[in-house]
Formats: sequence, C-alpha cells, structure tokens
Amino acid sequence: MVLFEKISVKNLTKSFPDTSGKRNVIFENVSFELHQGAVLRLSGASGSGKTTFMNVMSGLIKPDSGSVLFGDTDITQLKESAKDRFRAENIGYIFQTFNLLSPFSVIENVYAPLAFAGKLTGNYKDKALESLKKVEVDEFAAKMPYHLSVGQKQRVAVARVLFAGPPLVFADEPTASLDRNSSELVKKTLLELNKNGTTIVLTSHDPIFDDVKPDVDFNLETGALS
Amino acid sequence: MKYLFILKAVFHSISHRKFSVFTSIFAISAAFAFLAAAGCVSFGLAATAVNSSLAFPLVVGPAGASDTTLVMSTLFNTDKPAGTLDYGFAGKLASDERVSAVFPVARSDSYTGVPITGVESAYINEIANGFEAVESGLKEDDIFGKNGGNCAVIGSKTAAKYEMKVGDTFFGSHGSVGDEDAHLHDFEYRVCAVLKAVNGPEDFAIFTSLRNVWKIHEHGHHEAEHEEHDHGHHEAEHEEHEHHHEHGEESADGKITAVLVKTKNPVFTAALEREYSENGFTSATDTGRTVRKLMSYMNKAEEAAGFFSYGTLFLVLIMVFVTIMTSINERKREMALMRTLGIGRVPVSLMIFLELLLISIAGIVIGTLGGHALLAFCKPAVDFELGINLEPFFFTEIEFRGMIYTIIAGVLLSFAAMVKIYRMNLVEEIAKE
Repeated sequence: MVLFEKISVKNLTKSFPDTSGKRNVIFENVSFELHQGAVLRLSGASGSGKTTFMNVMSGLIKPDSGSVLFGDTDITQLKESAKDRFRAENIGYIFQTFNLLSPFSVIENVYAPLAFAGKLTGNYKDKALESLKKVEVDEFAAKMPYHLSVGQKQRVAVARVLFAGPPLVFADEPTASLDRNSSELVKKTLLELNKNGTTIVLTSHDPIFDDVKPDVDFNLETGALS
Repeated sequence: MKYLFILKAVFHSISHRKFSVFTSIFAISAAFAFLAAAGCVSFGLAATAVNSSLAFPLVVGPAGASDTTLVMSTLFNTDKPAGTLDYGFAGKLASDERVSAVFPVARSDSYTGVPITGVESAYINEIANGFEAVESGLKEDDIFGKNGGNCAVIGSKTAAKYEMKVGDTFFGSHGSVGDEDAHLHDFEYRVCAVLKAVNGPEDFAIFTSLRNVWKIHEHGHHEAEHEEHDHGHHEAEHEEHEHHHEHGEESADGKITAVLVKTKNPVFTAALEREYSENGFTSATDTGRTVRKLMSYMNKAEEAAGFFSYGTLFLVLIMVFVTIMTSINERKREMALMRTLGIGRVPVSLMIFLELLLISIAGIVIGTLGGHALLAFCKPAVDFELGINLEPFFFTEIEFRGMIYTIIAGVLLSFAAMVKIYRMNLVEEIAKE
C-alpha cells in the first residue's frame, strides 16, 4: 500500500445542467485536507450529491473547477488511462448496490480490478481466498454473483477492498439493506482498514456508524464543513 | 489474464442475450448459406455445361429452333425439342468431309419426368465412361445391336434414384418432359445397361435406340388413328409399318429431333453452323458459344444473388449494431462499475467491439459450414432437379467476397460502437440520471 501523506481538496465545484439547461450546483468551492488514515464523512439527504462528490474526488467525474491532490498527484489533471490505473491501484469502493461484476465468479470479482490493471502477483488466488475468508464468504468463491444474497455480495465487495489493500476506500451506504451481522462485519472491516492507515470516505444513514468520529464532516446539503 | 477476463465478459454478455444473439447469428448465417448455395449451384451448372459443350461442338436441329433450345434439348436433356428432321439428314451430314462423326438423337418419351432419348450405339460409346452393369449377351460397344430390342440404357444418377437395375422393366409416358397431356403407353422398356457416372447431364438421362422411339411414335399415331379412322384400314397400315421397321436397324424415313456433330476443326464448325442456319430447313448452333452465353447469364444471376445477399448482410449487421447499442443502456451500470474499479476505457469498449465481431464471425462460420453441409445433404435432390453434379464443398468467389465484406463491415461497425463507448463518461451519465 502506497500511502499519501495527505489528500487535498481545493476549491472543488460541480454542477449539472437541469432539463431547462440551467446549471444546478451540487457543491461549490469546497476545500479541505485529509491526512492519511483519516475518516471523511459525507452527510446530507438523499440526492444532495454525496455520491457525486465521491465520483469527483476519485476522478470518475470531472469537476467544473478545482483540484484533488493525492500527495503531489492531481487526479483531475490525469489522462483517462492514468486515472484508471490510479483508481485500480489506490482506491477501493464499496457501494450500496451494483458492487459485483456479473460476468465473473465471486473470487474473480475479488481480483478482477488488479487483473485488468495487469497488477496481479504470485499467489493471488490464495490471497483472494484469504480475503473472502475474512468476511466469511470463502465458501462461495466459485459461485457466480447471482447466487449470492445482498449481504453476501456486500461482503465480497469488502473482500475485494481487503485484497487490493488500497490507501483510500470510498464506502457509499455500505450497510444499507444489510442484516445486522453483515452490517457489523462491514463496519468492523472498515475500521480495521482505517486502523492500519487506510483513509475512509464514508456516506451512511445507518446508526451503526454513529459512534465513528470523522476527522472531517462535510454536509453536502448545507455545504458546512467541520 | 486481462484478455481472458475481457473474453469472459464478452461470452457472458452474449449468453445473457441469447434470443437477440441467436436471431443475429441466424440472419447472418442464412445470408451465407444462400451465398454458398448460389455459388455451388452456379459452379455446378457451369462445370456441367463446359464438359458437355466440349464433346459435341455443333448441334443441328429443325428450322426455327433457337440456339438455347438446340443445346438444352440435346446436351442437357431439359428443354423440349422444336421439331423434327428426317433421319436421312444425319446421313447427309455424315458424308460432309468437314464432319468427323454425327450422332442423331430423337426425344419423345419420359419416365417420371426423366427424358428418354433415342440414340444410336455410337452415341453411347461416345459419352460412356464404362458401364456399371450390362445385360449378358449384349456387346458394350454396340449396346443397341442385334439383341437390343426394347433396351434402355440408364444414366448413373437415374439408376440410383429409381433403384433401376439390369433386367428391370418400366413404361414411359408419351410426350416429352413437361407435357401436360403426357400419358402412359404400353411400350415396355427393359433396363439393359447402367452407365458409370460421367458427371454430366447424361447421368440424369435414359437412352434407348432410335428404333424404339420410332416404334413408339408409330404406335402413338395408330392410337390416334383408332379414334378417327376405320379399324380395318388402320390394321393394314399398321402391318405395313411394322414390316417396314423390321428391315435395317434405323429406318431412313424415321424422324429425329437433332443431330450432334463432331467436326474436324473449329473453322469447320463455324462454316457448318452458318450453312445449316441459312438454308431455311435447319438451324445450327456452335455449342461452345451458346454455352458461354448461357454461362454469362448464369454469372449475372450469380452476381445478382450475391448483390442481394451482400445487401441483406449489411442490413443484418446494422440490426446487430443497433441491438448491441440498445443493450449498452441495460449494461451501463455494470460498465460504470468496471470504470469505477479502475478497469480502463479500452478494455470496456473492447468488450463491445469483440461482441459485435464475434457475432459476425459466428454468423459467417455457421452460415458457410451449415450452407455447405445442407448442400451436401440436399445434393442428390439438387443434382437430379438441376441435372448437374453439385460440388457441395466448393467455396466460390462470391462467398469469399461476402466474408471479406462482412468482416470489413463488422469491424467498422464494431469500431463505431467501441468509439461510442470509449467517449462515453458512463459514471457521469449515470450521475446525470
């Protein structure tokens, strides 16, 4: 894991045109810094732009203006292919839904991002199996995603993050629609990763995360940073 | 590993859209099967035509017969003859010093649609590539000789289709192939020989002696006369005819429908053709030229078939392209997830490229192999129906052209789809939604 000393968000602005063509500002001139191993909590009502902020921060969507620096690397200025490589090597994602790629088996889903990036090493299958074991879904390794429940799929997504060991994890409502056990397991894994130096960007309405104290809290609804 | 994953994703996507993929592949396959059939049949017709035209450079028939009728009714045994000539005319032609051999032919009967042609033994010697079987007591080089009687020599494909063997008997229908008023008569043919395959129209024919054709012809006359004339008068005439045909193998006043001529050189062929076309009593045609003309029509027909197939293929490819582009909307989220996980734009768009290309290639392969396999399966029926020796696994130029056009069009359309995906910011599109 390559650690970034800090992640700097500078004057980040994003808007989308509405149906009448008018710009609808999602967030404007947002600036903050995250040190390695910090927790950023994005809050606000549904539709306030939390996922969009994550996408801009990870370079998936271009901002209207501003920059996101991972150490010295400004992801907004990278070429698409470089952004892809950067994401594959440095960022892990856990979403509420659409977490797994349907063409691939459970274990392939764990190592697919690094396989596409050509970054698989040695005993990657054992390591992938180990990751699945940590979240208690190793018995489904050879199964296809459609055989799994929502909770099991979410655990596989967590295993994918464990396998890649990225310095930054985006967790977008990671426990929504999960049972208590699965939610606890996801939370525990995220906190363990954070303890080992992984920066976490989290959005969640689940009270299970209420006791997690973020280093930075950004409310997309009000624009307040604390 | 990366490319294995790409292929896996492509096959997964194909297997999840079975109906549209099957329809697409079927449509491309059908067009290729049609190309295979058009090419092979055209080639078979051309090969048969060339073989036949080489054997007899000149055909002379009654006045008014077109070049095509002369060739089709004699060499191919398909068209109806345009009229008759006196048998004596063949003797006159044979005495011309520019002629090396003449082969008079007479058509009248058919057996379940297969024409029965009256010829002399010399004709059989000319076209035969040996015999599968010959009745004992008959001389192979004079099959209609002394003991020929009601002998019929059967072409190899006819014998195979109707399971005819030496010693079998059958009745012909009076009137030529395609005659609406054809009817069975009581002349019984006896299979006295079965020819080995010659890969020409002769394989689909039945031959008998001129003597038998004339006998049937006389018999037909008498049947008609029965209805119109006094019975006693007819019997007298009948006896006279029978008596007449007992003398000599071929009667000088018998009728024939054409004479196949071998000339000593091509210059004589041209001169004889001119002479016998301009005398007002006969028509003549250079078989080589007529066959070339027929082949040029066939080539045009083949080109037209190719043109329609290429058009169909292009429309099918557009359909496949539209189907895939529509399916992209359904797969947008999954592709967006791939991009999110760091799977680059190139692998994601390459999946779409390969998907379209694989469908095109599958259509080409299945259509070409299936088309030729179907031709091989249908060969006996096609051979008999068209009077050709079909080569079901012969790959023709229109097929190769079809393959190249389809691959080029497939690559271009796949590339267009790939570029569209490459340029799309899938995540942003979903964010906008």
